[in-house]
Amino acid sequence: MEIENVIEVQNLTKIYRDFWGRKKVRALNSLSLNVKKGEIFGLLGPNGSGKTTTMKLLLGLLFPTEGEIKILGKPADDVKKNERIGYLPEESYLYRFLNAEETLDFYGRLFNIPAKLRKERADKLIKRVGVQGARKRQLKEYSKGMTRRIGLAQALINEPDLVLLDEPTSGLDPIVTRDMKDMILKLRDEGKTVVMCSHLLADVQDVCDRIAILYSGELKELGKVDELLKEQDETVLRTSKLDQNVIDQVKAVLEKNNVELINASQPTATLEELFLKTVEQSKARPGQRFVPENEQAESKESSTNGSSKK
Amino acid sequence: MTFDITDFILKDGVKHWLWVFGSVCGALLLASLLLSYVVTGMKGPGKVIKTILGGVSDLYALSLKRVFAIASLTIKEVIRKKTLVVFIVFAVLFMFGGWFLTGSTGARGDLEVKNFISFALTTTSWLILPVSLLMSCWGIPEDIKARSIHTVVTKPARRLEIVIGRILGYVVVGTGVLIIMGFAGNIWVHRQVQKSEEAQKALFCRVPLYGDMSFFDSEGKQSEGIHVGDVWDYRRYIKGATQSTALWEFEKVTSDILVNDKLKIEARFEAFRTHKGQMKEGLLCQVFLENPVTRKRVKLPVFHINEFTQNIIRINRKLKHYDEKEKKYVELDLIDDMVFDNDINKKENILRVGVRCIDPGQYIGMAQADMFIRYPDRSFDVGYSKAIVGIWLMMVLIVSMGVSASCFLKGPVATLLTFSFLLVGQGGFRQFLNEFVDKQVLGGGPVESIIRIVTHYNQVKELEEGATKMVAEVIDSGFFYFLRIAHQIIPDFSSFKMTPFVVNGFDVSWGSALAPSIAITIAYVIPCVLIGYFSLKSRELETK
Repeated sequence: MEIENVIEVQNLTKIYRDFWGRKKVRALNSLSLNVKKGEIFGLLGPNGSGKTTTMKLLLGLLFPTEGEIKILGKPADDVKKNERIGYLPEESYLYRFLNAEETLDFYGRLFNIPAKLRKERADKLIKRVGVQGARKRQLKEYSKGMTRRIGLAQALINEPDLVLLDEPTSGLDPIVTRDMKDMILKLRDEGKTVVMCSHLLADVQDVCDRIAILYSGELKELGKVDELLKEQDETVLRTSKLDQNVIDQVKAVLEKNNVELINASQPTATLEELFLKTVEQSKARPGQRFVPENEQAESKESSTNGSSKK
Repeated sequence: MTFDITDFILKDGVKHWLWVFGSVCGALLLASLLLSYVVTGMKGPGKVIKTILGGVSDLYALSLKRVFAIASLTIKEVIRKKTLVVFIVFAVLFMFGGWFLTGSTGARGDLEVKNFISFALTTTSWLILPVSLLMSCWGIPEDIKARSIHTVVTKPARRLEIVIGRILGYVVVGTGVLIIMGFAGNIWVHRQVQKSEEAQKALFCRVPLYGDMSFFDSEGKQSEGIHVGDVWDYRRYIKGATQSTALWEFEKVTSDILVNDKLKIEARFEAFRTHKGQMKEGLLCQVFLENPVTRKRVKLPVFHINEFTQNIIRINRKLKHYDEKEKKYVELDLIDDMVFDNDINKKENILRVGVRCIDPGQYIGMAQADMFIRYPDRSFDVGYSKAIVGIWLMMVLIVSMGVSASCFLKGPVATLLTFSFLLVGQGGFRQFLNEFVDKQVLGGGPVESIIRIVTHYNQVKELEEGATKMVAEVIDSGFFYFLRIAHQIIPDFSSFKMTPFVVNGFDVSWGSALAPSIAITIAYVIPCVLIGYFSLKSRELETK
């Protein structure tokens, strides 16, 4: 069965012009892509590749020079489409003089959500993004991570079918990044379509089902993340830790079958995993700190000599 | 002080507005279609039409809830950004203003009252108007600069709702502040006048009933009055000891206008002496009442006029009249016997009052507004409140213009533009422009002026007949037509000035002051909203 397209983009071109109408820069060149319902779609590319321009064209913040956009079956400049869309901008461009509750209430009012339901949703979202303790504080007092969280909450106030996230993890620490990625995955589990653009490749790889890679405003690659990353002429075997003896035996078997062993080494964890593990342990055992090896030795020595060095 | 006492006629106002609005809209549409065709080819005009139709659909889908949401956001923004701290200046001025105003007029209570009222109302308007202007001109540009508007326009909020919401928000804030300032100013005036009994007596509002005026010369024929060659053309004169008469006809004179069974007429005349005469006394003046239907004329006692101040004439309801036929005094009722209807002009309850100068060789000058019947006086607070309403209307207009300008200009430029409108709209420039488009300024239009400059032709002399004159007149007439429409774009801010009414002890007239101000405000707010909406809709809110 054909899966419904939530976004359809055909030959989308955007040229920025100066005051006199002269061409300044071609930000996007004949971009064509579709986003299917229920997937997490990533727009990848270096700075200036046209990711944010695409996002803003989808939202009607910019007008296309050429091409056609259908978003939830409606043209990009149709305001009605916004009723089913949630948008988290690149920076959290929220009203900094409002507090979390007022922010969500304000955006809820723009959707004409009844007051009681607005309150319920705001409470739920504040809890979900984890800013309960700061719900009465003005956003200008928030850290960047907290602002991003409340930014995501405002994008979800209308329970949208399509969520557009512009650089959702940019500038966040690994813990908030992890939380953000978990929230994005949860959105997909709830049946929502998510489109995110980012230049943080690891984040995109972690959450996206399909990606499009843009460079200089042109589409260079489009497809499923797994398929795009698959090395067609290599095989990876993952086992529990092997002795050198066993490795040598495996190597011999492979040589016998004319297969080259490219690498046999013990895998390392990612820095993100190490960081998150450390933070988790710190939460579990507060007060524990890292002691350098030389200090540990000194400490052992002094305890055997009966001194009370602290 | 002079007032324009002409009552506002709604029908004519609407007609005029439709003419200007239609002309400007038509011109703009034509320009947009042409420009879009030049820039984007055949697609352009289609896009313009689509944008206009989109506007109609946005108007249909307008949600008041969203408008109120944006308005309340605006209110919170103004309050939390501490914009209103500027009004501390107001408090400081009022704390010390009394020190400098009391006793500045040589202890004349009525003049001191003028100073107090003028100070309170002027301070209020000069604080609220610039602050409103700044607030309204910076809100949307700041929103665009901070990109917080992205989170609004990506919701189902129409740009029309943003414009209206912003205007409403600033108006609500301004209204709140104006109420506080107006209330504080009123209390301040009342406290200041407590120091002088004379000042307390002067604190009231006269409610005038103006009449139509006509002059009759010494032979009894209708005339324009005598021009004595004075520089100021406002008043015309009647000659003393002749049949020369100034006649007023007041409509809608009923017993309700009487105070304690007396009719109060106030007059302010100016003397023009051809010889010294009795210098210590004012010129002698005769006032009479006349009923042309019954041909009855009742002469009132002759009195010396007070120049440069008011002459109060109190007329008893029961009048003594010497009947020439019956050769005896009879009693007449002011309302029943002297008030008449004019079936030809379909005017009812008319009281005709005539004025003659008794001193031979002397002249008395007067204008339409110089004599009026006084309704029962109203409280000062009523007039003061109406003056505050005048300031409020001006604030609404400035806010609308500011928000509208900020939709297509950056904050500083929008401020400059709105301020220019404010300045030009109430200064002498507008008067000059009015005279220019009415062709009262010598020298003709730009083409004619160029011809005159090049050929060293006198302004007063007519250009010689011929092809040159004809071409100049044709081009100039097009220019004048354009200018006539263009000068309507600048609102007449002087119409909102109701302070002089209250300062001079008058109630603010509904027909000649409040109604036109309300009409002007509505007439300009509508195009302002439309300009703001289409500007915001047709611009990209993100440009690199």
